Amino acid sequence: MFKSILVAYDASKASAHAFLAALDMAKQLHANLSVLSVAQLPEPAAMVESSAMLELAKEHYEKDFKRMRADAQSAGVTVETRVMVGHAAEQIVHYAAQCKADLIVMGHRGGSRVREWLLGSVSKRVLSYAPCSVLIVR
Amino acid sequence: MTHVWAQASLWLGLALVATLLSIWLRIATALSEIVVGIVAQLVLGAVAGTMALGADESWIKFLAGTGAIVLTFLAGAELDPKVFRAKWKEATAVGLIAFFAPFFGCAAVARYALHWSSQSSWLCGIALSTTSVAVVYAVMLELGLNKTDFGKAILAACFINDLGTVIFLGLIFAPFTVRTLSFVVGCLVVFPLIFWLTPRFFRWYGNRPSELEAKYLLLLLFGMGALAAWADSEAVLPAYLIGMVLAGIVGKDHVLVRRLRTLTFGLLTPFYFIRAGALVSVPALMAAPLVFIALLAGKMGSKYVGVYPITRIFGYVKQEGLYTTMLMSTGLTFGTISALFGLNHKLITQAQYSHLVATVIASAVIPTIIANAFFLPRYLLPRRTDDRTPGEAAPAPEPVAVAK
Repeated sequence: MFKSILVAYDASKASAHAFLAALDMAKQLHANLSVLSVAQLPEPAAMVESSAMLELAKEHYEKDFKRMRADAQSAGVTVETRVMVGHAAEQIVHYAAQCKADLIVMGHRGGSRVREWLLGSVSKRVLSYAPCSVLIVR
Repeated sequence: MTHVWAQASLWLGLALVATLLSIWLRIATALSEIVVGIVAQLVLGAVAGTMALGADESWIKFLAGTGAIVLTFLAGAELDPKVFRAKWKEATAVGLIAFFAPFFGCAAVARYALHWSSQSSWLCGIALSTTSVAVVYAVMLELGLNKTDFGKAILAACFINDLGTVIFLGLIFAPFTVRTLSFVVGCLVVFPLIFWLTPRFFRWYGNRPSELEAKYLLLLLFGMGALAAWADSEAVLPAYLIGMVLAGIVGKDHVLVRRLRTLTFGLLTPFYFIRAGALVSVPALMAAPLVFIALLAGKMGSKYVGVYPITRIFGYVKQEGLYTTMLMSTGLTFGTISALFGLNHKLITQAQYSHLVATVIASAVIPTIIANAFFLPRYLLPRRTDDRTPGEAAPAPEPVAVAK
């Protein structure tokens, strides 16, 4: 059923669980696995600070990706990792369409109401706009 | 020294609060530091007197000024010389239009609608003419346009726009005496020299724990800054130009850039942005809110007139063009630098400074809010599938890192 699974990874505990769940599914279903992380710049993007954040995000995610690739390899699953820039929900939905994912797997962070009001919920936005099924891992 | 240490801890405490706010709200640290500066001055002014924060202490002015200089240098060093060489014609045309439209537009609003003096009006035009390279770059990355010819040309154009701002700021109020001539000649001699000398010097003596590179660069920035100030110009002008001249050398050295960023964000720029906020008079803003609205309308309107037609000429569809135009209306850092230059040189009053900084902040925040509310995700999501027509050639966003 699911041949292409996309994991949205933001280095949180919940998204690490989401990766493990997706890896397990990919192994059982012989599906391809993609891991996407989104570097969200501060708004409005300020000079010098934005380039610094972008560099740090790439380095930070690359460390986690290394571990994920090792996990996937030992499970016999092919995994592709990438970092994109922008608003998390938009980039996840767009990349899901681009890589023709059948399923998006993401963690639920359960942020405060104030934070949700100010920044919006990424999982709600992805659920609203995703071109495929979405699994929220708690 | 007790007084100095106490004051330093107060300022760094404020910087820490601003940084935490920027992390929680995901806003730019510069923006949060300015707002914290405004609030701190308001509260401390009411509780302990207007001098409590000590924004005019000479050591705070020095750290703040150094912050502006080093930040401007790093901004100039982000230029990609290859892109600029390939696209300099388009970039110059677009950059000059994007600079001159708001420069004349906002100066006209200040002069004829608000009846500011001619010098104040020109300063207003400069402060509101800027375009944030960072904001445009972030948008380009989101839309996947950073690798296209159009994206590269627009990014290079943003550097030209800011160069226009810095050059006008540095020269329009200069007295054009022998000193001004000496400054220009000094630049013409020093820039080619450092372009030749710097890579060799770094190769011979660099990469040691004594941080020779940082000392060399600070010497250049302070030396040329002193020459600029002696000529009644502005120290950020040579700093930005030195950054651009050394972009292919310093910009490529990530370790050096990272060390300079630590110095800049960890110590220097908090003093600069908090001070910029502390000098804002909230009562002056409250007394004449229409001034702020007129300036904001002037900035966004003139950017629209200048930039939107260009995006259409280059093949942007309507919403994409509007989105880019709105985000090109932001210019937090150079806008603040210009306004503070005006206040320091008594070209504008504190009330005018307050209105300019408020406009600069609003022009950074409002377009982002509007763009997010009305153009995302409805604008991005449906269109970023493969159903583009040939005229809408924006490709999928490029990842910044991929591995298989």
